[in-house]
This record gives sequence, C-alpha cells and structure tokens, in this order.
Amino acid sequence: MSTTAPTRERTEQQDDVAEPDIPWVVIVWNDPVNLMSYVVFVLQKLFGYDREKATRLMLDVHHKGKAVVSSGPREKAEFDVYRLHGHGLWATMQKDR
Amino acid sequence: MAGSFKRIGGDRVRVRLANDEVAVLRGLPDQLRTVLRESEDEPVNQRLFPPAYLDVADIEHDTEYHRLMHDDLVTEKLANLDLVTGSLARGTASMRRWTVELTNEEATAWLGVLNDLRLALGVRLDITEDFDGDVDDTDPRAPALRLLSYLGWLEEQLLDALQS
Repeated sequence: MSTTAPTRERTEQQDDVAEPDIPWVVIVWNDPVNLMSYVVFVLQKLFGYDREKATRLMLDVHHKGKAVVSSGPREKAEFDVYRLHGHGLWATMQKDR
Repeated sequence: MAGSFKRIGGDRVRVRLANDEVAVLRGLPDQLRTVLRESEDEPVNQRLFPPAYLDVADIEHDTEYHRLMHDDLVTEKLANLDLVTGSLARGTASMRRWTVELTNEEATAWLGVLNDLRLALGVRLDITEDFDGDVDDTDPRAPALRLLSYLGWLEEQLLDALQS
C-alpha cells in the first residue's frame, strides 16, 4: 500500500501538467458486425467529413484494423468517443505519442 | 421487391413491411431493454459500452468516463427503443402490408436500434469474422444468423433512404 499510493499521486501530477500539451487521438477499431455503410454514415454525421474522407477512414478501419478519426484535447476526444459509443462504434482514445 | 424504407419529402420516411416482418420486429425492443438494464459486465453491455481508454495508465480516466457517461448512453438507447416501439404500435396493416410514416427523429432512432440489435446478436452469436449474410442451414445458429442478416438488410435500406 505505502509504496503504490505515492507513485500514483506523482503520476497524476505529471499528467495534470503535461496534458494540455499532449493531444489525444480517437481510434475506431474494426468490428465484424457494423456495416461499412453505417460506419461511413456515422463518421460523416459526427465529424462533418465528406463522403470521400469518411469512406477512406472506414476502409482503413476495415483493412488495417483501426483508424484515427479525430484528435484534440482530452475533453474533446472524450466527447467524440462518447458520441461514437452512442452510435455503436468501437472507439477508444489515447495520448498521441 | 419494393424497398422497406422510402424518403417522403424532406422530413418523413415511409416504412413498408410484410406483416410477418413487423411481428418479428415487435418482439425485439423488449429483449434489448432487458439487456440494457443488466450489469455492465454482461457481454452485450461490454460491447455496447466499451472502454474509452485502453492504456492502463489511463484506468482512472476510464472509470470516471463510465461513471459520468454510462447512464446517459443507456438513456439514449432506451429513448430510441421507445420511439421504435411507438412507431411499431402506430402503423397500420392491410391484408399483407404494414405501413407507417416516421419523422426524421424516429427514423434516426430506428437506425440506432437496428444497429444495437445487430451488435447484441453479434455478441450472442460470437461473430468474430466479417459476416457476409450467407447462412448455412445446418448451422444450429441459423435462425439467429438469418435474423442478423435480415436486420442488416433493413439497416442498409434505411441508410439509403436517409441519404436519398
């Protein structure tokens, strides 16, 4: 107990300082059930991408297993993940490093 | 075969289904409602509400994300289900055909519910490879696979109508 708790605290402090500078990326992962046309539709709807860009991202998801669909500060990335989850896409976020 | 969904003007979508299709659809929303009220550990719920943060270093952020967002996501899905159930109850049946006109809001709810139902079925059927819709009759999962295929066919048509 006494060895782990302080470590976690220090990590949090570092995060608080570093976070504004490190952008986050939102990743959509391949999914065997979601229709390709549905993924394109959702990417256009949520991010305002044109059909060509949304289709290119969907094909990356399909063929490479994942694609970065948006990026930004943590709060923005989390909101994007939330909206993607609301539409049934398998989305996660991580620091872009 | 005539399309199941057709855009009418700018703000309505007409649904036309065979009566036996409607009978199948009416049985589905309650099954999803039941799952949504179960624990987050339930496999379908794990798929519908996946982690936002994968990195173990961000585990506390993920806990916070689920604490803040999970109930909102469930509420949205339940609201979609209510809109679908309402329109399924409102439609009118003739000898063979059932028809209803959806508002844009209802049509969007149908899209969300069709997709959620397919994701739930995908988990139940343990679909891990891309499913092309072809069903082997000897597969014990054939009835459920056919339902998954049918719902996908409906969803494709609704997507076409929404974008026409």
